[in-house]
Amino acid sequence: MIKFEHVGLRYGVGPEVLTDVNFKLEPGSFHFLSGPSGAGKTSLLSLLYLGRRPTRGLISMFGRDVGQLSRTELKDIRQNIGVVFQDFRLLNHMSAFDNIALPLRIMGHSEHEIQENVGELMEWVGLGDHTQMLPPTLSGGQQQRVAIARAVITRPRLLVADEPTGNLDDEAGLRLLTLFDQLNRMGTSVIIASHNMPLMEKFSQHRRLLLNNGKVDIVTPNIEIKQKLEGMF
Amino acid sequence: MFRLKKRESFLGVSVGKRQYDLPLNKDKGNNFLILLIALMSVMGVLALCGSFALSEMKTRWTSGLENKATIEIPAQDENGVLLSNAIIEDIAITVTDLLETQPNIENVERLSDGEIAALISPWLGDSDKALEQFPIPALITVHFAKGADSDLIAERIKNVAPTAILDRHESWLADVLEFTGTLKAVAIGVTFIVLFTTIVSVAGAVQSRMAVYHEELELLHIMGAADSYITRQIQRYMMGICLKGAVIGTFTGITMVLIGTWLAGSGESALIPRFTLSGVQWIILLLLPCFIGIIGMGTARHTTLRNLRQMA
Ligand SMILES: Nc1ncnc2c1ncn2[C@@H]1O[C@H](COP(=O)(O)OP(=O)(O)O)[C@@H](O)[C@H]1O
Ligand SMILES: [Mg+2]
Repeated sequence: MIKFEHVGLRYGVGPEVLTDVNFKLEPGSFHFLSGPSGAGKTSLLSLLYLGRRPTRGLISMFGRDVGQLSRTELKDIRQNIGVVFQDFRLLNHMSAFDNIALPLRIMGHSEHEIQENVGELMEWVGLGDHTQMLPPTLSGGQQQRVAIARAVITRPRLLVADEPTGNLDDEAGLRLLTLFDQLNRMGTSVIIASHNMPLMEKFSQHRRLLLNNGKVDIVTPNIEIKQKLEGMF
Repeated sequence: MFRLKKRESFLGVSVGKRQYDLPLNKDKGNNFLILLIALMSVMGVLALCGSFALSEMKTRWTSGLENKATIEIPAQDENGVLLSNAIIEDIAITVTDLLETQPNIENVERLSDGEIAALISPWLGDSDKALEQFPIPALITVHFAKGADSDLIAERIKNVAPTAILDRHESWLADVLEFTGTLKAVAIGVTFIVLFTTIVSVAGAVQSRMAVYHEELELLHIMGAADSYITRQIQRYMMGICLKGAVIGTFTGITMVLIGTWLAGSGESALIPRFTLSGVQWIILLLLPCFIGIIGMGTARHTTLRNLRQMA
């Protein structure tokens, strides 16, 4: 479903952040993306959600070469991707409800559908009492739930999350990953950037993309690799 | 796209008001833009009313003159010697008779002494004595039909009455046309300034807002928003601002014109006609805000699309 071939990325005239990234993700898969801070996890995710174009190499998504897409096709593919940004990127002038509803409005869903779906999801993520609050008045954890709800409201084919457990306590982090796991079971491919080792351990059935020195190793979890990882951090 | 919300926010809780995906409503430059558009609309109204008044004046000053000529039989001969009224009368009759035999002449009319006296009374005073003392020139008005050869007729008149002067009002017409033409050019110039300023300020406002909300625009793109989706909001928003400014400005302008003509109307002047707006002219004035709204919307649309296409 997603294929990276010899992908390189640099910012301006700086050094290459990604040098030669190669991997393939199957539909319905679940991956962690790990690596030390500054390794380029956020950069790699931005290529995945088509927020940026690679400087080199080939990326294909849902069977299409991303470099060849027209603006309309690009928009259609983006509508199939949900993103949880590290800094959430909520729109501060609109209510939590409207933030979550935004992707549906962009896709042209009816207001009736929107009221129903968004209301239900907000209840489900525990924001039922905060529908009309503006993001700046919500706690960090609540803002994060808004960001996550916004990413999944369209039931995307691919869910990309950048350090989503960053400012959650262990218990909340576990609940969040359980939620992602459930979404994955319903067919969404999930890729989560994280360096929370203990948490990843709890979901050790999932494979990891290990980003280091601008390259990606696909790691199938087993003891030896675990040791290799531990040596890195 | 946008939804009805009553007020922006209250204690951190958003309450219903018309809202856009970008925080456009919170922009501080909005009031300035509305004021600018309002001023432009006032200028637009004044320019329009000016050109309405102008065409009214032009028709009044030139109406019927195009096919008319006046023949003056002066009260003195080539050497400046005063003629008697009897001789002037003779020449006038000769000329009138000649004109009546010419083709393509609709009508020939001799101004009576009384009419001439009325015309020159401002200069000579009302006294009958003055008129008796001085010989009075004769004035004959000719209406040409279509196809009349006024040059040929002028030549024939010269043959029978060498001192007669044929005035085809050409220089008067030319003066009026030149004068009104200049004023019209000024009005058109003002209209262009208004248009240009509106376009430039709307384009500038859109450009700066897009720079300010670059991250939000990027986010909308990442969520899969089409350029048209974003453009619709911005163009609608800018049209709202332009309409607001233009309505305020147009009504201010119309009020100014009405008060101005009311004040000027107290002194009756024949040369500058009393200014009243016809139905069509009212419609044109009231369409001005729509026109400015559409210009603003088109400009916003063009600017937004051009900027969005440069984004990833
Ligand atoms: N927008 C940017 N412009 C320039 N350099 C950037 C930008 N984003 C990231 N970088 C650089 O790219 C490298 C990788 O950053 P990032 O992808 O954020 O890593 P990670 O998410 O793994 O911590 C860092 O050296 C960072 O300074
Ligand atoms: Mg990062």
